[in-house]
Formats: sequence, C-alpha cells, structure tokens
Amino acid sequence: MATVPWEGPIPDLLRARLGASVLETSLYLDQPFAVLALPAMVPALELLRSEAGFDYLVDITAVDYPKRTPRFELVYVLYSYGRNERIRLKAGVALGEKAPSAVPVHLGANWLEREVYDMFGIEFAGHPDPRRILMPEEWAGFPLRKDYGIVEMDNRWVQANLGIESGQ
Amino acid sequence: MTALDSNEMVLNMGPQHPSTHGVLRIVLKLDGERVTSTDCIIGYLHRGVEKIAENRTYVQFAPYVDRMDYLAAVSNGLGYCLAVEKLMNAVATPRAQAVRVILTELNRIASHLLWLGTHALDIGAITPLFYTLREREAVLKIFENYCGARLTTHAFRIGGLQYELYDGFEKEVESFCGQFLAKVDEYEELLSGNRIWRERLRGVGVIDAETCKRYGVTGPVLRAAGVAWDLRKAQPYSGYEQYEFDVPTRTSGDTLDRYFVRLDEMRQSVRIIQQAVANIPTGPIMAKIAKVVKPPVGEAYVSIEAPKGELGYYIVSDGTTHPYRLRVRPPSFVNLQALGHMAQGALVADVVAIIGTIDIVLGEVDR
Amino acid sequence: MIKFLRSFLLLDLLEGLWVTFRHQSPSQIETEQYPSERPAVSERYRGAPRLNVHPETQETLCISCNLCAVACPENLIVVGSVRNPETKRKDLVTFTYDLSRCMFCGLCEDACPVDALELTQDFEIASYTREGLIWDRQALEEGPRPTQYRQ
Repeated sequence: MATVPWEGPIPDLLRARLGASVLETSLYLDQPFAVLALPAMVPALELLRSEAGFDYLVDITAVDYPKRTPRFELVYVLYSYGRNERIRLKAGVALGEKAPSAVPVHLGANWLEREVYDMFGIEFAGHPDPRRILMPEEWAGFPLRKDYGIVEMDNRWVQANLGIESGQ
Repeated sequence: MTALDSNEMVLNMGPQHPSTHGVLRIVLKLDGERVTSTDCIIGYLHRGVEKIAENRTYVQFAPYVDRMDYLAAVSNGLGYCLAVEKLMNAVATPRAQAVRVILTELNRIASHLLWLGTHALDIGAITPLFYTLREREAVLKIFENYCGARLTTHAFRIGGLQYELYDGFEKEVESFCGQFLAKVDEYEELLSGNRIWRERLRGVGVIDAETCKRYGVTGPVLRAAGVAWDLRKAQPYSGYEQYEFDVPTRTSGDTLDRYFVRLDEMRQSVRIIQQAVANIPTGPIMAKIAKVVKPPVGEAYVSIEAPKGELGYYIVSDGTTHPYRLRVRPPSFVNLQALGHMAQGALVADVVAIIGTIDIVLGEVDR
Repeated sequence: MIKFLRSFLLLDLLEGLWVTFRHQSPSQIETEQYPSERPAVSERYRGAPRLNVHPETQETLCISCNLCAVACPENLIVVGSVRNPETKRKDLVTFTYDLSRCMFCGLCEDACPVDALELTQDFEIASYTREGLIWDRQALEEGPRPTQYRQ
C-alpha cells in the first residue's frame, strides 16, 4: 500500500496527547487513517470527539488477517460535521483479546460492536449488551473469520432448530 | 429472562407483523399502553453478503449489492461502483456520471414513494398507496427500459455503464418529471392538510439533532431534526456539485417532519434530474479500465447519500480479483438503533408510525 | 373564524376526498388483466435465458468458450463440449442452466462473444418442481412454454 504521511492538526493532536500509542498516521488515496495501540482507542475517540469535533461515529468493523499478529484489525470510521472530514482509526486485536467498548463515547457503537463480535468473535469489555445480533444466539462459530468456509454452518444448530439435516 | 415487574407486560411485535416492513421482531415492554423498553431482534434475513463478497470477483459481486436495500438498488450499485473505482483510482466518464445521477435520483423518488404509500397505509390512510405505486411504476418502467430489470437493476458497472441510453430516454424522464411535481402536491392535498394525519403524527417519535449524532443517524431522520447535512452537498460525488438543489430540513424531528422532509426531497430530486437530463454530455459510457478488475493492495471507504442515509462501502484489497474484505455500512441498520430512543414512553400504536418513518429495509439491516 | 368554519365543515377532509373522486374515471384505470392481458416488457428485459440457433441452419451459435460459466456469480451454467478432430473446434454437447439460482444479472449475456446466450423477454418461467427449473440445452433453445389459459 503506497501511503504518504498524514500531516496536520489532527495527527499532531493525536501524537501530542497519546504519544507512543500512535503507531502510524498516513494517507492512502487521500483518505487519512491512524494506527493506534488498542488501549488508546477509546481515549482517542473521546479526544477527537471533544476537541476536534469528530462527533459522528460512522462505522466500526474488523478485518481478519490469520497470518498476522495480532490477528484482527479493528477499524473505526469517524466523521466531523463541523470540519466535513472523515478519518479512520485502526488498532490490532489478538485472538481472545478484549477490546474496550466505545459505547460510553458514541451511543451508536452499541450495535456496531455487537456485529463485530457476532461476525469475528472479538469481545468488547464494558459493552452494555454483549449478545450476538445477526446470527442466532446459540450459533457456534464466527462467520466472517477467514477460516470459516463459505458453506460452513453450525450443523448442530441447524438440525436442532430447523429439523433438517443440512441447510444446503 | 429478567423478572417482570407486576405492572409490566411483554409484547412480541413481529417478525410477521405487516407494519414492521419485513422480518423485524421487537420485544416491547409495556406499562399499560406505554412502551418502557424495546429490544430489536434482527438477523432473520441475514444472508452473509459480506462473506459472499470475499468469494466473488469485484464484477461478480455487483448484482448482490442490489439485494441489500432492494428499494434503492441503483443507489447501492452506485456506492459499490464508486468504492471500487476509488480503489482502482478510476473515474467514470462525464456521460456515465450524468446518467448515474439521473437514475439514482429517480431511484430516490421511487424509494420515497414506496415509503410514503406504506407509511400512510400503516397510519390508516389507504388511498395514497395506490397513487404512489402508480407513479413508482413509471420510474420502474424507465429502469426496465434502460437496463432490463425493474427492482434489482444491476444498472451500473465498475468504470461506467453497461448499457447505452435507449431512444427516448430523455423524453420519458422529462415527461415523468413534468407531471410528477403535481402528483406530489396531490399527496399533500390528501395528507398534509388532513387534520387526522397531522394530529396523528405530530410529536410522535421525537429525536433531536444531538441524539441523532450520538447514534450516528443520517438521512431524512437527521434532516428532520434540523441538521442540513447531505453527502451530496457535503462531499459531492459523481458530479453532484454541478447541480443546483437544496437540502430540505425541518426542526422538530418528529414523524410529521420526517414526512415533510421526504416530500421535499422528492421535489429536489426532480430538480436535479431536470438539470441533468437537459444536458447529458456525449462521449463514451465506460472509462478506460482494465478488463479484469484487480485493484492494487489497499483500502478505501466511500459513502454516498442513499435514500435512507449514509451508505458506505469499506473495501480492503489484497491485489487479487476478489475483495479481501468488504464491509457495508448500512443506513437502515444504524438508524434502526435509534428506535429505542424514539419509542421510549410512546404508545404501542406509535411504534408502528416510528418504524415507518425511520424507513428501514430489512434486507439492508440484516444483509 | 375562518379556521373554525373550515374545521367545522370538515373542509380539509373534503379536500382529500375530492382528490379521490377525481381519480374515479375509468380512463385512469391502470390495472392489467393478467393473464388474459400480458404486460409488454421492454426490449432489454432480462428474463428467461435462451441459447440462440442459426435461423437458417438451426445450428447452435454457441462456440463452447465457457466464458458465461466463468462470468456467472452463482456458477449455475455448465457447458459440456467435445473437441472435433476435423475442425479442431469445440462442439457443444450439453448446456445446463440452473434457473432456480439465477438472479438475472445479465453478466452471462454480457460475457458471450457471439450473442448465443441471451436473456429474453419471456418471464413466465414458474415450475411445479425444482428440477423443472434446471434447463438443459433443448429447453434453452426452445424457450419456456407457459400454459395458455382460455379467456
């Protein structure tokens, strides 16, 4: 990925307040993003919201890289109504590691974090309602992980609840 | 299951309830007729679109995005094409951009029309449904003539368009626009002046601008709360900066205001279409891009103003013909989250009205 | 006072009713009497697939290049061919199209280099069985035959 360094008041603010937790600030295709250490994520969201006007949490999602350590990458997309700017924050999460929940900062994080948990199995510490959201509650497995096949399913659940041998 | 208060009653609404517009189930806790808490159970329509994307090529995945928000298939397709084009650093040709704008705005009208008809039906006004479906039919006929499908259109391709405009496209679009504004006035005559309609909707499901922002709510719901924010204005794409239009807003953020905002949006869409169709640039409809769509390693987030709010695509490419990860940021999913706030303390019958004006499509909520 | 009279005389409701009455004329009827009246679908309509044959020789136009099968997102096209030792070309033997999984996206007809595979204007493709939706070469060349009901 051919990135260029991202300079300006926002990376400066992040670096000044979070120090060594800011691992990278870059631009790719004119879209700025910052890579942070996981514990600094919620403080960064709070900082950006209160001091830089990033008051709209657009999206939380994750990407699974099975060969990397840490395995997952959490991606937060932020937007500021005042600045009309969009930035992305990213942080690595290891398998089994709990990410801090962003719900105290942005209410909208609630369902988005539930979806990340549902699809990737990344748990969020301090989440008010840590349940699955799209898959059935008793489902085993996390569908968007790379080791989960496209036709794979929880056969036990399918047999018990749908009364059929297989969903295929 | 938590213990119930003796005055509390649990009511299961859906997933087979006509006013939930799909398979949405809401567990309502009631104190008499008042809602004390809501719990949305979603996922009945989950098809794993994001997983499917990882197993398809970029070109092959394009038809699937139509099936998320199936009432605004063209908007979905536009967002997807723009995201992949961003990754490939390509831009559609001016002619393709103008046609895209016309079709997406027609789709916005069609989506709002269906919303208006079904929402009025939920409230108890049956007549508008027939009229809105009649006008929507005209839009769908234009889609059918242009690309051969009415609902899941697959109208755009990465880099531009597949189909050249058919003979008489401009004339058909212009005649639709010409008579449509009078039809919107007619809906107003039926509903806006009707005192039952006004009294029924005023002050129901109020959400203020600050709460909208905290929940990440976008689209007409946000604009009805007084925030004049529209991605077509804030961060124009596909040549929207060339067209003159207003962002309609209202102030009180209740169900009635959301109705007015959507009516005004239809009028603004007509304005955009009339400007765009008056001078469609000539030239090729497909940009010069590689035959095999293979974006370089990288990632991009691109979002557009869909009829329901901000629709975003976050794509991670690993340099192959398949997306490594494709994430859809659906407006309905995020907006539905605010239902709990809007329905707090409301009457059961109002929940129906509130679900109606958030304008969700379960295909997009569940993906 | 005017406001009171308006609400007393239910003028706002009558205004809406007047709209309804304006639409009572039979010239405004939009309903189509299907199946006795079939809708005219557009020229570009993407409906039932057809495998075109040469109008004079009745030979298939398909050159068994397999591009449609590769383009299909649902992998529902299977092309079977044998190499002809004389012409060194591939001759089409079987062509299976699983309509039950088709989403009529049109990518296969876009991919076809010789306009052999085409999505046509036929839309009456319902079948009583799942197997009935898996069309073989013969069905694809003949097209669907919907039941014709008497008026």
